[in-house]
Amino acid sequence: MTIEKPEMIEFRDVHKYYGDYHALRGITASIRAGEFFSLLGPSGCGKTTLLRTIAGFEGISSGAVLIDGKNMAGVPANKRPTNMVFQSYAIFPHLTVEENVGFGLRRDPRSKDEKTRAVAEALEMVGLKGYGKRAAHALSGGQRQRVALARALILKPKVLLLDEPLSALDKKIREQMQLELIRLQREVGITFVLVTHDQEEALVMSDRIAVMFEGEIAQLADPETLYRRPASRKVADFIGTMNFLPAKVVAEDANHTDVEVAGFGRMHLSKDQVMAGNGGEGASVGFRPETLTILFDGQQPTDRESMGTITEVVYYGDMTYYDVKLDGTEEPMRISMRNVFGRPVLDIGTRTRVAWSPGALVLFR
Amino acid sequence: MDSGNGTGRFFRTESGAGLALISPTAIYALLMLAAPLGAILLYSVFKDGYLEIIREFTLANYIEAWTNELYRQVMIRSLFVSLSVTVVTVLLAFPVAYFVSFHVAPSRKSLWLFLITIPFWTSYLIRVFLWKVILGYNGVVNSGLLWTGIIDEPLQWINYNVGAVVTTLAHAYAPFAILPIFVALEKIDRSLLEAGQDLGESKFRTFLRVTLPLAMPGVVASVLIVFIPTIGDYVTPQLIGGPEGRMVANLIQLQILKLDNYPLGSAIAVSAMAIVTAISLLFLLMTRRYLKGPK
Ligand SMILES: Nc1ncnc2c1ncn2[C@@H]1O[C@H](COP(=O)(O)OP(=O)(O)OP(=O)(O)O)[C@@H](O)[C@H]1O
Ligand SMILES: [Mg+2]
Repeated sequence: MTIEKPEMIEFRDVHKYYGDYHALRGITASIRAGEFFSLLGPSGCGKTTLLRTIAGFEGISSGAVLIDGKNMAGVPANKRPTNMVFQSYAIFPHLTVEENVGFGLRRDPRSKDEKTRAVAEALEMVGLKGYGKRAAHALSGGQRQRVALARALILKPKVLLLDEPLSALDKKIREQMQLELIRLQREVGITFVLVTHDQEEALVMSDRIAVMFEGEIAQLADPETLYRRPASRKVADFIGTMNFLPAKVVAEDANHTDVEVAGFGRMHLSKDQVMAGNGGEGASVGFRPETLTILFDGQQPTDRESMGTITEVVYYGDMTYYDVKLDGTEEPMRISMRNVFGRPVLDIGTRTRVAWSPGALVLFR
Repeated sequence: MDSGNGTGRFFRTESGAGLALISPTAIYALLMLAAPLGAILLYSVFKDGYLEIIREFTLANYIEAWTNELYRQVMIRSLFVSLSVTVVTVLLAFPVAYFVSFHVAPSRKSLWLFLITIPFWTSYLIRVFLWKVILGYNGVVNSGLLWTGIIDEPLQWINYNVGAVVTTLAHAYAPFAILPIFVALEKIDRSLLEAGQDLGESKFRTFLRVTLPLAMPGVVASVLIVFIPTIGDYVTPQLIGGPEGRMVANLIQLQILKLDNYPLGSAIAVSAMAIVTAISLLFLLMTRRYLKGPK
């Protein structure tokens, strides 16, 4: 466990209305100093709105936003200790790269030489050494992104806000920039708040993630908890893939819940596997695709296994996804298997054994 | 046969095809623009006889145009009027364009642009007459002020002078000045303004450091669009300017049509053109750092 760090940003029951539209519905959360925090959610859930309340571009209807212990009510954007990397990068087209990066240094008391040096250092930090004299419009998307980063980081803000900074980049550069952002964040130690709708990006980059739906935070946790113990079926569905099966609660005590699942039999679950939030549909259990294993001929039997028939095969190179309909279940389950050299890819219609473990599943009720 | 083939081949090349395409327009432009211009240029270096023009080269017309105290005065006044009109028009146009671009809901912008173009619905001549009615000795302003008792006798300084000319021209050219600035402002990515504030600048400073430089291409266009035609305006000074407000176009008209001195009128016209060109180029040179944008 990491040591609890002091809070850098605190939302206290933040509400935001656009006319009649309730965009933020009681956000209460805190972001710790020095962490890489992500706001994750589908389009229109209010991520950008929440980020903009931190930056000061968006007023709030009620509640409070605190940065480093200070209430930000009435503090304009230019007086807040935050800087933002805009989705469109917002590079000033009439200025050079150097002038863009140095834009916020106008009132900096340092001498001109020192400022020039600071700009050069900032450019070097983001890997744009020697690009200072370039016209801003003569840059690629990835380079603009770096200029935007340098321009914000040179001011040493307490919080760096990033609104989908990577969504406009192609896959290769995006993955490279993800790693670079993580490196930068560790290097400068500034609190990063990232908005993204890409769950993979959030899992890769963040210390903690707030999953938002319709103006509310559905779950706030570290990536592993979020993936392994999603707090609701909706969160589970949004992050990665999960197989859901109807379940019946048969016994319950203070620490354990026993459920009966068709095709799997009776299972004894510990308290931390039990979540609320099945959306009023009785109970269901969820398996991640990689927690189920197809047993190949000759592999040792395990204590928990079921028989099934393969109904679909999707080959990804390093992985193969199988849809397997287990005997006694209604719907096929998605199972992901790492492809190992020398092991065949099974065909549709093959009868196969599937091993599983009750510890890996989550019960929603 | 041979040459016919050559022509055919020429028209099949890209530039040849381009030339062929624009040739009707080019011929029209040549006839309507270049030919009269050439004629004026020629006249300006001919001698003026008593009844006809003597086709002999001379620079006397230019010397007269540039040294005669009266002509010089009119030229300076013309420059003063058109510079004043330009400054007044562009300074007033900017806030209007800014307001429409930044503070009018997007769904209402076209309505506002439509309203701005209303002055164009009536002919220029009628608008000038309207100003005469408004500013005249017995005009709307004077009778209004007399009626309310603010003044005892009609104001003289509001009509038939340079000020009246500037007012009328500024009104006439306002839409021309507003539209290019509006377009330039519309093109500014709004997140740039947020970025300016995010980087610690106040709204006003952001305006100075971001909005204004990015609006400059529009401002430069406005300045040229207002300055170039107003210097040669004929109708307004003629109808509103009175003897005090005569401008270079009136002088040219006087020389050519009244005094029948084509060469001198032409020399004055060419000189005026040269001055406008020089000032415009100088202005472009001064503002060129704002005009180099993305290719
Ligand atoms: N200025 C505004 N006026 C009215 N409604 C707005 C305004 N800005 C945002 N909204 C609404 O608030 C909701 C949240 O918007 P927001 O931009 O925060 O979404 P988001 O989570 O960032 O989505 P995306 O991933 O698409 O960027 C949306 O339904 C949007 O339509
Ligand atoms: Mg957004």
